[in-house]
Amino acid sequence: MDGKMRGFLTSPTVLLVLLALVTLSVLSVLPGPPVLSGLPVGRALAAEKVELTFWSWRTEDTVAYDKFIKAFEAKHPEITVKFMPYKNTEYNTILSAALQGGSGPDIVQLRSYGGFEPYAEAGYLVPLDEKVPALKDFPAIPLSGARDRKDGKVYGVPFAVQSLQIFYNKGIFSKFGLKEPRTWDEFLDVCKTLKSKGVIPLAQGTKDGWTLESMTGAVAPNFYGGTQFFNEVVKGKADFRDPRFVAGLKKLKELEPFFPPGYLGISYTDAQMMFVQEMAAMFIGGSYEVGYFNRQNPALKLGVFPAPPQKKGEPALVSVYPDGSFGISAQTKHLKEALLFINFLAAREFGQMFTDELKQISPIPGVTPVPGVMTEIVGLTKSSTPYIMLVGFRYGQPTGSVLLQNALQGMFAGKLTSEGVADEIHAGLVKWYQPFHK
Amino acid sequence: MVPAQSSIRNWTRTACTTGLHVMLLAYSIVVLYPFFLMIVTSFKSTREIFFSPFGLPAQPGFETYLKVWKNASFNVYFANSAIITGVSVLLILAVGSLAAYGLARYNFRMNTAIYLFFLAGLMLPIRLGIVPLFLLMKNLNLVDTRSALILTYVANGMPFAIFVLTGFFRTLPGELEEAARLDGCGEFMIFHRVMLPLIRPALATVTIFNFVPLWNDLFFPLIFIRSDALKTIPLGMTLFFGQYETEWGLLFAGLVIATIPLATLYLFMSRQFIKGLTAGAIK
Amino acid sequence: MRVIASSAGNFLRKHVYVAFILPALLIYVVFLVYPLLSSLYYGFFQWDGITRGAFMGLANFKKLLAESPYNVRFFSALKHNIHFFLMTMAVQNLVGLAFALILSRGIRGASVYQTIFFMPYTMSVIVLGFLWSLILNPTWGVFNKLLATVGLSGLARPWLGDMATALPAITLVNAWHWVGFPMLVFLAGLEAIPAELHEAARLDGAGGWKLFRRITMPLLMPSITIVTILTFIGNFNAFEIIFAMEGSSGGPYYATDVLGTLFYRTAFGEAGGFSGQDIGLGSAIAAVMFVIIFAISYLGTRFMRSREMQY
Repeated sequence: MDGKMRGFLTSPTVLLVLLALVTLSVLSVLPGPPVLSGLPVGRALAAEKVELTFWSWRTEDTVAYDKFIKAFEAKHPEITVKFMPYKNTEYNTILSAALQGGSGPDIVQLRSYGGFEPYAEAGYLVPLDEKVPALKDFPAIPLSGARDRKDGKVYGVPFAVQSLQIFYNKGIFSKFGLKEPRTWDEFLDVCKTLKSKGVIPLAQGTKDGWTLESMTGAVAPNFYGGTQFFNEVVKGKADFRDPRFVAGLKKLKELEPFFPPGYLGISYTDAQMMFVQEMAAMFIGGSYEVGYFNRQNPALKLGVFPAPPQKKGEPALVSVYPDGSFGISAQTKHLKEALLFINFLAAREFGQMFTDELKQISPIPGVTPVPGVMTEIVGLTKSSTPYIMLVGFRYGQPTGSVLLQNALQGMFAGKLTSEGVADEIHAGLVKWYQPFHK
Repeated sequence: MVPAQSSIRNWTRTACTTGLHVMLLAYSIVVLYPFFLMIVTSFKSTREIFFSPFGLPAQPGFETYLKVWKNASFNVYFANSAIITGVSVLLILAVGSLAAYGLARYNFRMNTAIYLFFLAGLMLPIRLGIVPLFLLMKNLNLVDTRSALILTYVANGMPFAIFVLTGFFRTLPGELEEAARLDGCGEFMIFHRVMLPLIRPALATVTIFNFVPLWNDLFFPLIFIRSDALKTIPLGMTLFFGQYETEWGLLFAGLVIATIPLATLYLFMSRQFIKGLTAGAIK
Repeated sequence: MRVIASSAGNFLRKHVYVAFILPALLIYVVFLVYPLLSSLYYGFFQWDGITRGAFMGLANFKKLLAESPYNVRFFSALKHNIHFFLMTMAVQNLVGLAFALILSRGIRGASVYQTIFFMPYTMSVIVLGFLWSLILNPTWGVFNKLLATVGLSGLARPWLGDMATALPAITLVNAWHWVGFPMLVFLAGLEAIPAELHEAARLDGAGGWKLFRRITMPLLMPSITIVTILTFIGNFNAFEIIFAMEGSSGGPYYATDVLGTLFYRTAFGEAGGFSGQDIGLGSAIAAVMFVIIFAISYLGTRFMRSREMQY
């Protein structure tokens, strides 16, 4: 090396750049103080201990999941499971990036139907049919949410079934001598009475579009004809411009006068708070609310009824759907251990813990629901119908859910009629939903 | 006659100034109110947050803060945010000022093209590149390290740093360089000893304009960071937002912890920074 | 080896600027340009969820620009970007200019006001989006209560939920966040105008408005160009504030949907898992965004610079 070159290499410019690079490489070797001190020791101690990572979008359930995991680890001391929840709204982005980059978790929480299929079809998930014997005894609906339509294989162990109905405040109802309504007109009467007494009848807002889909799921099936219409529309024998579906949307609109003032700007959390703090008498929503309502206001006397049909004696349908499932990433290096854990998640013992801790409906056969409202809700699901957009129309872009949620915002803002909502849904779905092309 | 007229003029003048002060003060309140709201709310119970949004907390206490700081490991997140933001900003300043100097003070064929090439980076939503970027980090074995964030931030910081610093370097008179060269200074010495000190206000501008968004960034930590030991404050804060429920008390304490250090830093640096921005922006 | 090293040394000695520029160029190309270009390239492929399929030329672009309902969403988002930009120019930047004019007159406490007005910039968008949503909330929000106390309860509205007011409300919150920036740039521009010019004009009998129109404005043109272009780039890349306050659909009923949110939910899926992702179409959106932003900022700068020359 000649003098000039040496001079160049020692020139401050180059030194600065080298310094920057060294800093970077040092930083990347040292991931963080706790790991730095803990890593070598931890490795040595647990030479044969396998750690499974478990991703979820349920940040609020961390404490409960830690309990479930402890129960599993007690049985399998050679395995540790790390529960890593991500923000619900960002979960998909993170999971897609990680799986495409080959650095996903071992155990994945999966959304139902169209929500998990892209992962299964890209080969990122392990089919579980033969590997999890307990799946054979699972009821058909929850299982269908984890089954890929193309290969017919099951890729996840369903963890919860949700249903959509109307919650009410028993205290407020008895104060005004009101009873659970059995028909649509009785329901409207209850709302009118409450409004005349200065109580907000329904804690609903339209700011968060997805709550409108939940409302539709609770209210509309009785009017569009439930599962029969669902089957027709899925097969392409009918579409969403059908007068039956439009009638369901019209019923939704009839509830508008009973929403809180400024409902256009009321978000989901606002609506929850109004109901929990007893400002409003009723809340149309999902079974997943029960745990939160209980924790936020233990004094609240919670009642529940299905959205009433037009006439007495007609079935009162509630929409149900499998919330999601637990799957195994095909990239896992610990398939054996992951299967042990997944089989634990499919067992009755876990289902019972899940129900007791989180106050949700477990799809695992033989689990007894928590007494009280949860048992009542499970009773309501005896007369159920598939949650139409989630179960049938989340497989292409734009999804039925997105179309319905946004168009309903348009309807409540006075921009669209219920026919207009139906047209907009159809126009979006017809782009990718083959049965509508006939 | 003359004194009377001038007193009227004085009077209108005072009235006018007072009016302006009232306006400026009113807007100051609009600016400061959300900060105030955030701090007050962090001491309230959930019920108070919603039912007496105007009121002061009935029993102010620091339990939420302690809980957030210790249980939610905000002390760790805080250190990570500080390290990642600090190192990134230093590197942006070092690498960016070198490049800006090269572009501003040397004439060569590709000069304008390279300058525009850097500026084009101001215009793209970088989120678009996330999947290839993630694959790249994965191949470099950098996923779940601070370096992944630092490298991304430095690359992202280049366009703006070069935009501002090149403008500044261009305004410096050429005689300075010539004189230094005659004194026998090497090229780097000229940059380091003579030119760099002259653009200090511009460096302050680049610092603030990078420090703030990097400190507040959520997107890249969300994608790149897994270990709890490496999480930054915005990432740590997302755990307070649940799918169907939110921990209001903790959330507000977290918001305060995330916001106050930056606001304080800004208040201390504002003089220098405003000087830098006002001196540099029009160049 | 020696020969190569010494020739490299010679090269660098002759082209010393390379050593200055190289580190920045390297990091920039590897960690920003390369990922972005590969991403744009994805726009020419068919994507099945997250799996890349066949090359399909311009099909994604055709779908985006010519096929309903995709093009309806695209053009509505584009329109909102334009509205957002125009309203920001009219509100944020004019107010910034007004503040700059007031503060440049040496009013007492000017530097304190400057410091305060710029402070919102330090707050993260997640935090300020959350706080302003609370302030504008129809049930517990302070804003409507304030209107009621001054007897204007008739004006109270669900600001963020009403289709007519949602985008203007977002614009105002965004202006609250950013107004310090144009203010400081204009202040700098005003300070750079030599006092003698104003004096001379005043001696010629020019009064307030005329003085502003004939002297201040023209000399402020460079600052106006900078502010306009940066506002344009910022507003056309807008995403976070809308995501934080109105969700990934830009609700209510797409009233605040901009290209940034359209891109995000198409490429990454609707937040909350209501829809899957279409990376091909998403990349096409980003490519079109890039062309729009690049072309307009380039032409805009040229046009505005040419206006500067006239004076």
